[in-house]
Amino acid sequence: MAASGAATPAIEAIDLVRTYQTHTGVLRRRPMTVEAVRGISFEVKPGELFGLLGPNGAGKTTTIKMLITLLLPTSGAARVMGFDVVHDTTAVRQRIGYVFGGDRGLYDRVSGIDNLRYFAELYGVEPSEQRRRIAALLELVGLTGRENEKVEGYSRGMRQRLHIARGLLHDPEVIFMDEPSIGLDPVGARELRQTVRSLVDAGKTVLLTTHYMFEADALCDRIAVINAGRIVALGSGADLKDAIAERTIVEIETFGVTDEAVERLRRDDDVSAVNMEERDQSQILLVQSERGAHITQRLLSLLGDTRVGKVVAREPTLEDAYVHLIATTGHDEARAARAASVQ
Amino acid sequence: MTPGRTVRLIWFVTWFNVRILLASEFFILTTFIAPLIFATLAFFLFRSGGGTAGQTLLYVALGAGMMGVWSTTLFGCGGAIAWQRWEGTLELLVNAPSRYDYILVGQTLGAVVFGFYGILATLAWGVLLFGMPIEATYPLILPLSLLAAIVSLGSLGMLIATTFVLYRHANALGNLLEYPIWLITGLLVPVATLPWWVHPISWLLAPTWGMEAIRGATIGAAPPTLAIAMCFVLAVVYYIAARVTLVFVLAKARRDATLSLQ
Repeated sequence: MAASGAATPAIEAIDLVRTYQTHTGVLRRRPMTVEAVRGISFEVKPGELFGLLGPNGAGKTTTIKMLITLLLPTSGAARVMGFDVVHDTTAVRQRIGYVFGGDRGLYDRVSGIDNLRYFAELYGVEPSEQRRRIAALLELVGLTGRENEKVEGYSRGMRQRLHIARGLLHDPEVIFMDEPSIGLDPVGARELRQTVRSLVDAGKTVLLTTHYMFEADALCDRIAVINAGRIVALGSGADLKDAIAERTIVEIETFGVTDEAVERLRRDDDVSAVNMEERDQSQILLVQSERGAHITQRLLSLLGDTRVGKVVAREPTLEDAYVHLIATTGHDEARAARAASVQ
Repeated sequence: MTPGRTVRLIWFVTWFNVRILLASEFFILTTFIAPLIFATLAFFLFRSGGGTAGQTLLYVALGAGMMGVWSTTLFGCGGAIAWQRWEGTLELLVNAPSRYDYILVGQTLGAVVFGFYGILATLAWGVLLFGMPIEATYPLILPLSLLAAIVSLGSLGMLIATTFVLYRHANALGNLLEYPIWLITGLLVPVATLPWWVHPISWLLAPTWGMEAIRGATIGAAPPTLAIAMCFVLAVVYYIAARVTLVFVLAKARRDATLSLQ
């Protein structure tokens, strides 16, 4: 049953756990339990835009699927608008909309407007409301004039916008968006962010998953960083950045840097973290340190004979905070989650 | 949901499923040609066996047409779910606030629409190409028998389709079911010619009664009242069984996370 009162969170997850049974081997199958979500708890206030930020395989989609009643939690509990996601499925489904990123989830062989009419019917939109509602949503997502074309001819961005229109058909109170900007071009992604912001301005609660830091930073009131099935940090973008505010990021462009050289940097007492991004011909080393830009010369000497290009010292961004969190919580946790128990 | 909204929902899903199926070239090819091929084979087999009676020819032709209708129904009910799984829409349908059994009924009716085509095409093919007379012992009951037969095939298709929700490879099982149903429900050969131990299984399958209704109306000695009634009774029983099955199937799908698997 739904709880009443102004204090009721729009979304409430209490120690959610979800495991999957799988197996390894072909002839000699060995059963295996994978822990995708390992005790996640958070609350989202009505009208809040809440972000779940994490790398691929962190447990973001599994968490969303439990909250929208598609998956049963292995243990723990969750409520949406006060309704239990395990037992009050119809009440939850009437109040939520969800948008998954990617190409799937549409009927390709009919037009966009036929897709919307069909789902409007399935979502119980009053017949007298359907025409007006669909027209308004087509306008909102910028598909007016293209609605009679078959979906198979739509671009990635158009499909994604149709997904959003579908998710909003029944005017849901809570909207779940799972990596909605995936595959969109920069202009499309910016328009999407404007749409999401307008939904929150209209009083909707939005839970958004993404692995784009700037998207989370630009949109979300609060962000939960999730890694290997656990929340490793929770707060506003500024809160997360504060965690490494004392640090300086030294970006070093290298050409053919060796693992040994990177390891030498990591072992240095004044270095907090080292991450490497591969580019076409070069590698960018992102070195975090609390010693400011003064450490730059020592870092270069630790790299030895490595050919070095551009070197920049700068303030940390949310992305650096995120990388730091994932790096410091990641490896052991991920290993533990991947194969919690081999029976 | 009010009864009016329920009817509207089922009608809408039916209409949408017809449109989706018509957009598939493979389905069109199968649906529009299969009944005609089966009917042609039946005509030639009947003649080579020395058969000449017009009423018997009609019975044989309709049996062959029903084989095509069963193929269409399996594809339209079960294959549609496999296709939805592949497109990623199955999760959306199952997770919609509307009851999934109503959606499944609509999808089944969408497939059954093509069953009517199959029967009409068989009759037209027989009359135009083979000079088949439309002669039946009970001509006024024949349309009702045909309706009952199509309902029987559709209801069985819906019941089988519930398992397709659970298993991503269930459509392979569906394909395997095509021939056994032809055989043990009397579409291919009369049930009476099958071993005695098959008969109880046949009686539980609605298409057996559907074919019996057609036989009774075309060459029977008495109106096939029982057979027609059994078609509708079993259709209701199958619907109830499908609803019960869906409760378990959907709970298991949420537990095992199988809906999004391709």
